[in-house]
Amino acid sequence: VKTKAFIAIITWLFTLLTLLFAMLFLAVPSSSTIAAPSEQNPTPPAAPESPYGNAPLQLSIADKVCLDCHGKPGLSMTLENGEEWDLSLTPDEHVNSIHGKLGYACVQCHTQVGNYPHPSFSAEDARDASLKLYTACERCHYYEYELNQDSVHARALQAGIREAAICTDCHTAHNVRQLYDSKTGKILPDARLWIPQTCAQCHNAIYQKYLTSVHGSALTQENNPDVPTCIDCHGVHNIPDPTTAEFRLKSPQICAKCHTDPALMDKYGISTDVLNTYVADFHGTTLVLFEQKTPDQQFNTPVCYDCHGIHDISRVDDPQKGLEIRENLLARCKECHPQATSNFPSAWLSHYIPSPDEYPAVYYVNLFYKFFIPSVLGGMAVLVVLDIGRRTRDRFYKQRSIVGETRATPTIQPDNPINQMGPQAEENPSEAETSPEEPDEKESKNVSSKEDQNIDTHPLDSDNNEV
Amino acid sequence: MSEQPSDLPSSASDYVSIERTFKRFTVGQRWEHAILMASFTVLLLTGLVQKYRSTPWSQTILSTPERLKDIQTTHHIFALILAAEVIYHIGRALFLIAKRRLSVNMLPTWNDIKDAGRMVLYLLFLTKKKPEFGKYNFEQKFTYWFLFFGIGVMVISGFIIWFPITATDYLPGGIIPAAKLAHSTEAVIAGLFVVVWHFYHVHFQRLNLSMFTGRLSEKEMREHHTSEYNRLAGHTSEGTPDLKGHDQ
Repeated sequence: VKTKAFIAIITWLFTLLTLLFAMLFLAVPSSSTIAAPSEQNPTPPAAPESPYGNAPLQLSIADKVCLDCHGKPGLSMTLENGEEWDLSLTPDEHVNSIHGKLGYACVQCHTQVGNYPHPSFSAEDARDASLKLYTACERCHYYEYELNQDSVHARALQAGIREAAICTDCHTAHNVRQLYDSKTGKILPDARLWIPQTCAQCHNAIYQKYLTSVHGSALTQENNPDVPTCIDCHGVHNIPDPTTAEFRLKSPQICAKCHTDPALMDKYGISTDVLNTYVADFHGTTLVLFEQKTPDQQFNTPVCYDCHGIHDISRVDDPQKGLEIRENLLARCKECHPQATSNFPSAWLSHYIPSPDEYPAVYYVNLFYKFFIPSVLGGMAVLVVLDIGRRTRDRFYKQRSIVGETRATPTIQPDNPINQMGPQAEENPSEAETSPEEPDEKESKNVSSKEDQNIDTHPLDSDNNEV
Repeated sequence: MSEQPSDLPSSASDYVSIERTFKRFTVGQRWEHAILMASFTVLLLTGLVQKYRSTPWSQTILSTPERLKDIQTTHHIFALILAAEVIYHIGRALFLIAKRRLSVNMLPTWNDIKDAGRMVLYLLFLTKKKPEFGKYNFEQKFTYWFLFFGIGVMVISGFIIWFPITATDYLPGGIIPAAKLAHSTEAVIAGLFVVVWHFYHVHFQRLNLSMFTGRLSEKEMREHHTSEYNRLAGHTSEGTPDLKGHDQ
């Protein structure tokens, strides 16, 4: 019974250990690698195909019924605060919207209205009415609606800030525009232009900054499809709070999404090593460390936007703000290192990989160690291995010789030459000490076995021998 | 053996002998070694964890800015201790030079290179004769000077990256990343050097505790520092008959 229990325990332990190792193996690679730029904006599912084939341009019958009243201007109701709430719309608004084009009817969103007379509806004010009605979007756009629940806007709303953006603030209620190509699932070129304008409704100061930036100006002036709009960095629907430590810590990955992509960067001759070089240098190193273990850490290490700007990111060769200009860079450095002087900015490798032209000191130090390490450590290792080899062989030889010959060797022998040699001993190794058959080491070892009971005394004369 | 003190066992059949020991290191030198050993170890441990920050084991240790700060503070404190030790060591050497009392034992000589060559021949079984060494053999001199310059690199580069703003007041900025690279690489070399070379010679090849006891036995002296032993024995007038007396 004992044996069985023992075997059971051993088996159990073995299984546990195997599991542990398996877990370790699985866990290690995931935590050791630098997180790849994460997909912040999952491409939304392609717009649904119209159930009616080509978008019907005439209104459905049901819509006609609604528009009999709501299509006339001046229809309104009085809200609790006495505000007049306009209930009319022009038929074109809906017809030209993506919903109208796809043939959706009024009642598909306005499900609560029933037949005329409508059930009673009341709201404190117009905003309250919008807040009550916008949840209708969830029925079809469940995925986006759920994403939005994690957004900074939804949280602000929950915290009682009624102005926080809801679906209809960005997409409008009735003039909802098509944003994605239903075939490719890609955002339409026009829609890219609308995005900053949409955000600008509330975030106008940032929009004005963005317009001056390298990205914003390329978008608005050249309609450049490569530059990011708001949502490329901030995400769409699940827009995170950009003021948190976690956002800051992860922000280099946002920039890296495009700036490590050769397909995008090669066009403009921009280096794709910016993330690598950032991570390898002082600032990025600390960031990666905390990103792995404690992403909610408050820390003061600069991220991309601390030097390059947040919304007013400029070209590095921009004469006013470009970081290629030494004074501009020094000004940035001084924000955190107020004592910095003109030599200081080049302490930062500026995303360069050291070469004989850029940062030669670093390059040559690296080159030196590339040769120094293998030669020194290799040489040492060879000597140590040779020494072990020689000693092993000598020990083996000695054991055999002890068995063979039990001749006691007088200790005096190595001392004999002392009197003749004197201080010159270093220069002329004495022949007498090492007879060809018996290396001196062997001799002294032989003797030492008999000298086990040596008494350690410190005669005065040897004390005085110190040099 | 007539000179034997009376409290020693004196049974005639015993191979009892009096083993003399030779003073090798002064108390000061032993303290220096102890301080060097302690600061080197702490600096290496607190430094390597920062160097290998991309590895999971390091990140487990450095998980928060507070931990990192503590480790860096420890590193800096022991850096100051080591720097003080280096200054004391060099200062003492300069003082002894001024007094014309500095021993030249540790200076590398042409003979050391020849010794190294002879040793390689011996290790390759090309000669049966082991080279004879003075007070410090070529291996010990190499250890000393390798670490001397290694620690020099570490101290200088360490202070440059500790005070980058002060350093760039006088030096070009590119010196900072170069110093960082040198500091980080030299540390690994010094660490490996101590483990592979120094530990091998003082622990595995033979246990040589003279840096702690301050002494070497006569046997060790004769075997490993033959030239020095011969020199001392030749100079000691009473030593010679005493040595002979060891023989049975």
